[in-house]
Amino acid sequence: MNQKPNRLPLKLFVPVLLLCAATFTGCQKDVKNELKGSETNLTIRFTPVVQYDSVRMYFDTTTYTNRWSESFIVKNFKFYIRAIRVTNTTTNQGFEIDVTKYYLVDFRDSASALVKIGVLPGTYNRLSFILGVDSTHNVSGAQTDALDPTHGMFWTWTTGYIFAKLEGTSPSSTAAGNMFMYHVGGFKQGEDANKEIQLFFPYNTGVTVSNGKNTVIDVTADVYDWFGTPHDIKIAQKPTLMTPGAMALQVADNYSKMFTVMGVKIE
Amino acid sequence: MTVKWTILIVLFLITGAVLVQACKKSGDGGAQTKPISFDIPAGWPAPHYNFSGNPLTQQGFELGRKLFYDGRLSKDGNFPCASCHQQFAAFSTFDHPLSHGFGDQFTTRNAPGLYNIAWQPQTHWDGGITNLEVQPLAPLTAPNEMAEDLNNVLNKLRADASYPALFKAAFGDENVTSQRMLWALTQFVGTMISADSKYDRVKKGSASFTPDEQTGYMLFQSKCSSCHTEPLFTDNSFRNTGIPVDPTIKDYGRMRITRLPADSLKFKVPSLRNVAVTAPYGHDGRFLSMSQVMEHYNSGVENGPTTDPLVKNKIPLSINDKFYLLAFLRTLTDSTFIKDSRFSQP
Repeated sequence: MNQKPNRLPLKLFVPVLLLCAATFTGCQKDVKNELKGSETNLTIRFTPVVQYDSVRMYFDTTTYTNRWSESFIVKNFKFYIRAIRVTNTTTNQGFEIDVTKYYLVDFRDSASALVKIGVLPGTYNRLSFILGVDSTHNVSGAQTDALDPTHGMFWTWTTGYIFAKLEGTSPSSTAAGNMFMYHVGGFKQGEDANKEIQLFFPYNTGVTVSNGKNTVIDVTADVYDWFGTPHDIKIAQKPTLMTPGAMALQVADNYSKMFTVMGVKIE
Repeated sequence: MTVKWTILIVLFLITGAVLVQACKKSGDGGAQTKPISFDIPAGWPAPHYNFSGNPLTQQGFELGRKLFYDGRLSKDGNFPCASCHQQFAAFSTFDHPLSHGFGDQFTTRNAPGLYNIAWQPQTHWDGGITNLEVQPLAPLTAPNEMAEDLNNVLNKLRADASYPALFKAAFGDENVTSQRMLWALTQFVGTMISADSKYDRVKKGSASFTPDEQTGYMLFQSKCSSCHTEPLFTDNSFRNTGIPVDPTIKDYGRMRITRLPADSLKFKVPSLRNVAVTAPYGHDGRFLSMSQVMEHYNSGVENGPTTDPLVKNKIPLSINDKFYLLAFLRTLTDSTFIKDSRFSQP
């Protein structure tokens, strides 16, 4: 829809606008990343890292060593985020995008690591989101877009999504093919692995999002954090995790601390 | 100037109309689709799955039917849904304790019959699936069942000569998506209603039980119907009926889903509709006949920490009781359903 209704004669403006609104409402399911008029672009750029944010992580070819001296190679690293929000903790003003909108960050698919949203211009000093899938969307049947089961983030033997997945190989693993697989999910009471992630900006700075500019927030996700603090997760002891429950909650506790805002770029 | 605006507005209206139409097509099947009604049999409760988000159409149903019988949903082409769900056995597997899957493998469970599953809050013996639409993903991807990858299946369908047109007929355009495939399968399987057995006709007043069947019905109501509750002949609960674990399969049932020790060895109470054609019985098919199942309740129940209170003292059944019960259970066979051409191989 490239037409500009505000250039029409006033008496035609209302019916045409209504038609537009009706059209968009009817199509809501098909519209991706709806932007309201005054919102502007904000991109969260996720980068996989190891060794406490110091080193970029690469798949397949590079061997890393976790805090338990277990060497490993990463084959898959992905997770769902939703309810993305930017807040100014001084003024207590914030902006939250549509909470039903899900993003799958899959580091095998570099485009998916750029989470593009629309926010109202302003100055914010906190970024937050929820890592996981809410209970309703876990049981809503056949879904599309980020929640399409073709993404391999849906359990088939029990209804529910895998919120985060880290897979690879390690000589420490006793599983077939020396694989290790951590599939974290669970939405029922007592097993809810959804995690709200609150991130501040370096040196107590913030980000000013302005009209007409694309603001990029660089966020790292550190694989090392999956293995420790506060819970010890050792590949040798437990190479596979594929069910919700106690261990999933521990791993989720660990990886909820894996994100760091490294900086902001205005493009 | 006026002419220019008029043209612009007309263009606008057309664009809008086209978009609205496009939405209709992707949303509810478009003008060309023929709706199917989902009729709830008299006296039955509301179904758990009601198609409100997946409008039933003839085209969606027929697409689901073709998919259900298509071996290409499996890795080697040999295992359509119908390989373990045979219509003459009320869509269970005839004469197989455990169903067979890819690479000469057994599964760990007896394939349940498919009928009235829109009334099941959960599917699978352990109730792991809570939304009917996503159930097909389980057999489709299990390495000992159809052993396929969801994306591979979709690519096979996209490359096929007929499927894109069938997806278009059902959903408005040729996009072959997982959601549409699952919706179509749900339309087919979810509308398998079995409610035309002799029992149903007796309830409607258009037939009557023989004296043996009537005696069996009385026995059934006093000894069986706490769990196999009418009219669906299941209360959809999970119970340990004193069947000890098979040491080679090590299937602890519901506990796998809830991770609660209290659910160890609990399995879903199966509906007894069509029971006479769905042998063998039990979650692992260990009972070859209805008589064996009844003898289990009479003498075979093994008690453990989670054994159901209703069976822990066994259910005494004399030879006569069993005879009458068998006569009644045979009235639950819906011969219309197992021959219904709507559900047969297209």
